[in-house]
Amino acid sequence: MIEVSRLSKRYGAKTAVDDVSFTVRPGTVTGFLGPNGAGKSTTLRVLLGLDHPTSGTALIDGRPYRDLSHPLRKVGALLDGAGPVPERRAIDHLTWIAQSNRIPRSRVREVLDLVGLGDAAKQRVKKYSLGMGQRLGIAAALLGDPEILVLDEPVNGLDPDGIRWVRTFLREFAASGRTVLLSSHLMAEMAETADEAVVIAQGRIVARGSIEEITEGHASLETAFFALTGGQVGW
Amino acid sequence: MSAVFAATRAELTKIVTLRTVWIVTGVILALHLLVSYANVGINIEAVRAITPDGMIELFADDPQPANRAIVDFLVASSFQMGLFLPGLGAVIAGQEFRTPQLGQTLLAVPRRGRLIVAKTVAATVYLLFVAVVVAGVSTAFMYAAVRDWNPGLLVSPGAWVGQGKFVAFAVLTGLISFAITVIARSTLTGVAVTVGLIAVTMTQLLAVFSPALDALFPLSAGRNLLLNPVENTLSAGPGHAMVVLVAWPLVTTVVAAFLLARRDAR
Repeated sequence: MIEVSRLSKRYGAKTAVDDVSFTVRPGTVTGFLGPNGAGKSTTLRVLLGLDHPTSGTALIDGRPYRDLSHPLRKVGALLDGAGPVPERRAIDHLTWIAQSNRIPRSRVREVLDLVGLGDAAKQRVKKYSLGMGQRLGIAAALLGDPEILVLDEPVNGLDPDGIRWVRTFLREFAASGRTVLLSSHLMAEMAETADEAVVIAQGRIVARGSIEEITEGHASLETAFFALTGGQVGW
Repeated sequence: MSAVFAATRAELTKIVTLRTVWIVTGVILALHLLVSYANVGINIEAVRAITPDGMIELFADDPQPANRAIVDFLVASSFQMGLFLPGLGAVIAGQEFRTPQLGQTLLAVPRRGRLIVAKTVAATVYLLFVAVVVAGVSTAFMYAAVRDWNPGLLVSPGAWVGQGKFVAFAVLTGLISFAITVIARSTLTGVAVTVGLIAVTMTQLLAVFSPALDALFPLSAGRNLLLNPVENTLSAGPGHAMVVLVAWPLVTTVVAAFLLARRDAR
């Protein structure tokens, strides 16, 4: 369970996240929607202990992320701004992550094979395509076989096969009683993947509920999104 | 403790799987081999010419007692390469900041205090390894010069103490650069500050005007610790030097830990 309560984050005079509250329940895929600069990534970074909140709390099973003893066994995360050194080999990148949380080394090979990078494991990350880099990020998130996944734009750069794989995987992951918080710009993809959604605009939550509740009265999730966010385009 | 050990092991893996670290290490060791090779012939000739009363001229027209001069030369040859080890400390720390790796690191080890301990221990282990190799290379080349005269000199207490001081100096100054890079969040800044500290010592300008102030700089402290006061003008004694050399990494690491804990991981 993820619980974000009255969370605010300011950078100087700029308020990035303003009094945000929502809950993500186990057994569901929850979409986190908003234009660029709406506060999605900041919220996720605070939730995962990378940034400090100005006020409020963001808890995972009732505890701050940084209080988890082996955090990667509880939460797997893919975030923009948290990735490998390009000159390091993919297998080495995953090996140090596994060692840090006492995850068996055999799991490194397992996740590389799972995301289709088994044959490219010994390549340096700088030789990876955008899609391969994204697959490596997903592999890192899955390394600890976590109960909770927090993914920021996981299908960026993936080919159609990869997108379908992520969608199917996340549905099965949630169906097994685990928790998924998924941020994405792709409304059609989100409509097919998520059970529930939280919509954020200009740092504030503007809607939350099931996908059906949010799209009610609109032709699609996309039209609902633009209606809720005031048609903001986050370039 | 097991969590700190796991984090330290992960940090060591990061260090030894980073190609830049091996390139910088290779350049330092290659340079040391080159300089040592260039000196070995001169040293062999000088040892052959040791006078019956035990005097040697490692430098022309500068006769000195052979035992002391050879140990001093041994330590000084390690010391000159030790000046490059802070660069290695900056490269090790800087990998987090020239790429988005810091975010990944904090996802894996979110407790900043635990992370800085793990990072510092891992960097210490690697710097120790390189410093010991540098000392070993110095010893091997000096052995080629003294093997027919007094090979036991290289494992005498004086030689052990001298090389031990060098290793301590190399690791401690490497950690200073490591911590400054974490504070500045930039490899380039870490290297630039280190070069500045080296320049203060190598130019000896401060030592001329204010020896007491010069003695507070880490590379000057290294000089004061390792070089022979009979042959060199030093700004403080070895005890003072050791305090300065320990205080610098201690203070800079505490500041680095404080800032790592306070700042967002950006």
